[in-house]
Amino acid sequence: MAISKSATKSSVREFVGRREVGLFLIIVAASAILSLLTPQFLNLNNFISIATGMSYDVIVAIGLTLVLTVGGIDLSVGSILGLTGVVTTMLLRAGVAIPLAVLAGLSLGALLGALNGTFIAKFKINPFIVTLGMMAVARGASVVLTSGYFLSNLPAGYLAIGQGKWFGIPIPIYATIILVIIFDYLLRNWEPLHSIFFIGTNPDAAELSGIKVGKMLIVSYILSGVLAAAAGVFMTSRLAMGYAQFGLGAEQRAIAASVIGGASMSGGEGSIFGTFLGVLLLAIINNGFVLLGLSVYWQGVVNGLILVIAVGVDAIRRMRRGEDRD
Amino acid sequence: MVASVLKIKGISKSFGVHKVLHDIDLEIAKGEVHALIGENGAGKSTLMKIIGGIHRPDTGSIEVDGESVAFSNPQAAMAKGISLVHQELSLVPNLSIAQNVFSQREPTNWLGFVKWDELHKRTRELMERLGVDIDPATMVAELSVGIRQLVEIAKALSMDAKILVLDEPTSALSEKEVETLYRIVDDLKAAGVSIIFISHKLPEVFRISDRISVLRDGRMIGTVKAEDTDTDEIIHMMVGRSIEEMYPPRASSVGETVLSVEGLSRGDELSDLSFELKKGEILGFAGLVGSGRTETARAIFGADPVDAGTITLHGRTVKFKSALDAINHGVCYLTEDRKDLGLFLTKNVRTNIVSSSLKKFASQLGLLQHSGIEDTAKYYVQHVKLRPADDKPLVMNLSGGNQQKALLAKWLCADPQVLIVDEPTRGVDVGAKTEIHSHLRQLANSGVGVIVISSELPEILGLCDRVAVFNEGRITAVLDGEGTTQEDVMKYATM
Repeated sequence: MAISKSATKSSVREFVGRREVGLFLIIVAASAILSLLTPQFLNLNNFISIATGMSYDVIVAIGLTLVLTVGGIDLSVGSILGLTGVVTTMLLRAGVAIPLAVLAGLSLGALLGALNGTFIAKFKINPFIVTLGMMAVARGASVVLTSGYFLSNLPAGYLAIGQGKWFGIPIPIYATIILVIIFDYLLRNWEPLHSIFFIGTNPDAAELSGIKVGKMLIVSYILSGVLAAAAGVFMTSRLAMGYAQFGLGAEQRAIAASVIGGASMSGGEGSIFGTFLGVLLLAIINNGFVLLGLSVYWQGVVNGLILVIAVGVDAIRRMRRGEDRD
Repeated sequence: MVASVLKIKGISKSFGVHKVLHDIDLEIAKGEVHALIGENGAGKSTLMKIIGGIHRPDTGSIEVDGESVAFSNPQAAMAKGISLVHQELSLVPNLSIAQNVFSQREPTNWLGFVKWDELHKRTRELMERLGVDIDPATMVAELSVGIRQLVEIAKALSMDAKILVLDEPTSALSEKEVETLYRIVDDLKAAGVSIIFISHKLPEVFRISDRISVLRDGRMIGTVKAEDTDTDEIIHMMVGRSIEEMYPPRASSVGETVLSVEGLSRGDELSDLSFELKKGEILGFAGLVGSGRTETARAIFGADPVDAGTITLHGRTVKFKSALDAINHGVCYLTEDRKDLGLFLTKNVRTNIVSSSLKKFASQLGLLQHSGIEDTAKYYVQHVKLRPADDKPLVMNLSGGNQQKALLAKWLCADPQVLIVDEPTRGVDVGAKTEIHSHLRQLANSGVGVIVISSELPEILGLCDRVAVFNEGRITAVLDGEGTTQEDVMKYATM
């Protein structure tokens, strides 16, 4: 039965060769090392704290993975998180009902994403420049609106979104898991969203294959904006305040996590589940820093290095593959 | 006999395994206008790039004024008085005429600053010599294509060119500009400059050249004096190859009109094109590159807008706003540029095959049936005989012929009623070529209207039931595939 044996072998190799599996093994290894170094790591409370802390990054990174897959980039997610959080909390403090305030925050995220997408898809402006501009505008607007103050005194019903628990587990963790499952499923199986793989690989060929390139580009940036806004809602309710500097650097962690999880800076590739594992790996490394008592200032250095290494490895992988050509 | 200013012996050149020039000999006399002609891909441009120092030959020798030379770059060729005026103009649009003419060679003072007065004076003199009175400080971006070409020639003259290569210089010029160019060519010739003139247009070749050399499939077929020959002989030299490939039998009967196009126009690219495509036939689009064949296909497909024209599909007038619209109506277009516009190179065969028909594999909610995708892809892999017979390799790792088969499978999978294929066998080996031909014929026999755009005349004549000949955005003739000769087609394509 040589045939079936080699078939099994190749499908085993295919499974192990998948990015997610490799990433999972790295996470297990990192966890094993940390649990040897410090007894505090292997502990339910520590895990819940890691999971809660990473939930905002996961939600933002889902959107970023979509944008990278469609062949773009979104540097404005951190600022959109900040601005929508500020606007939502300001509305709440002005007495607007909780569902309306949350809806307004999410709509603002969608609107800013739609602006990004329109400039990129319709006016063909470089996505890096468009979202860099949006990053500055949204952050600046947050500071203008708050004059730099914290916006506290939020209604208890709102705080329950981020601080409430079911079975001892904070609600943001549930929300994050559900969002990962939904978007992972949709990206793989839902034809309109699945088509962004084609757009990111070759937009001209996609257009001539009957794929709605412009529309899906805009949709991707809208989803990125809405998800950033959702992260803004969870963060402001969890921390019980709105603040202009929330989400600072979120785009950097989201890009790193997406690329670690299998997204390519040149588009056409990406996995929501992979991105989730990417955020988890970054969160465990940062948790290790805290538990081992290393200076938090080093975290920025390490996060930056991880971003450059992840993108560098992606570039080398693509170069290698390019050599196979002809 | 006047002395040769340029003497080429035994030049051969290969790119990878593809040999594009075989043992070429060519002599250019002082002060002659020497036309170099041949079909697309005959090797004219490669030969000129070797003469101009852009490519190096694998074997053979080049002599300029009796002195053996080997150019390592275009500057070396220019130093020997050889200047190329490119088909794609090589000027910098954001610099002035003078800056372009004396690019990198501006007159400077001892501090290295440009002496603008002298620069402009010398440019003005050169332009006046070409019969143009224009401010040398004008930006090139503001000039018409015709004037830009003259700037290129001025640039060559400023380097004391002895041999000027004009690569299809009239292709983008208005009639008046063409007359100016002819006059300049005559003046330069009188001044002892030799000119190599590359062109597709036979009337102008006879109008200005002293001698004509014909290239075909990378071989020098011969050199004749223009006064001793005629259009028929030249066309025969250009196309006179034997038909090596076997073609499937033609349509036994054709049905009603599937697609009819009337008065299709856009700018000067497409002027008042009309034709009909019948069920079960293969209609060929013949003509030279840039004659409007691809533009017509893209316009029908909704990929480019048109100024005027009616497209009727199965008796109903349609106007496709996008490729999606066309595909939904069963009109498909297989591009000539498989790598940039056709395939998703970094994706696997399966993904590519279903890329134009994803919606067919989705439920009402839009959820994809992956098993259906896999089965369909595997069916088409077998159907077009892809090698390896596997739907999982990345398309970029396939050979050219297999990439082309994958591209064909992609459009077969979209279930077309009208399929326009653009250069379906370019860069494809003979075996795959025959298979692609038989697929196209099979498709036509099953009732699909097929249009084949090809620059290879044997393919057009061997495969098609009828042939529409394109020339400068018009259809100059519709001929029967059977019994028509390459010479007939060439006559309508170059008139």
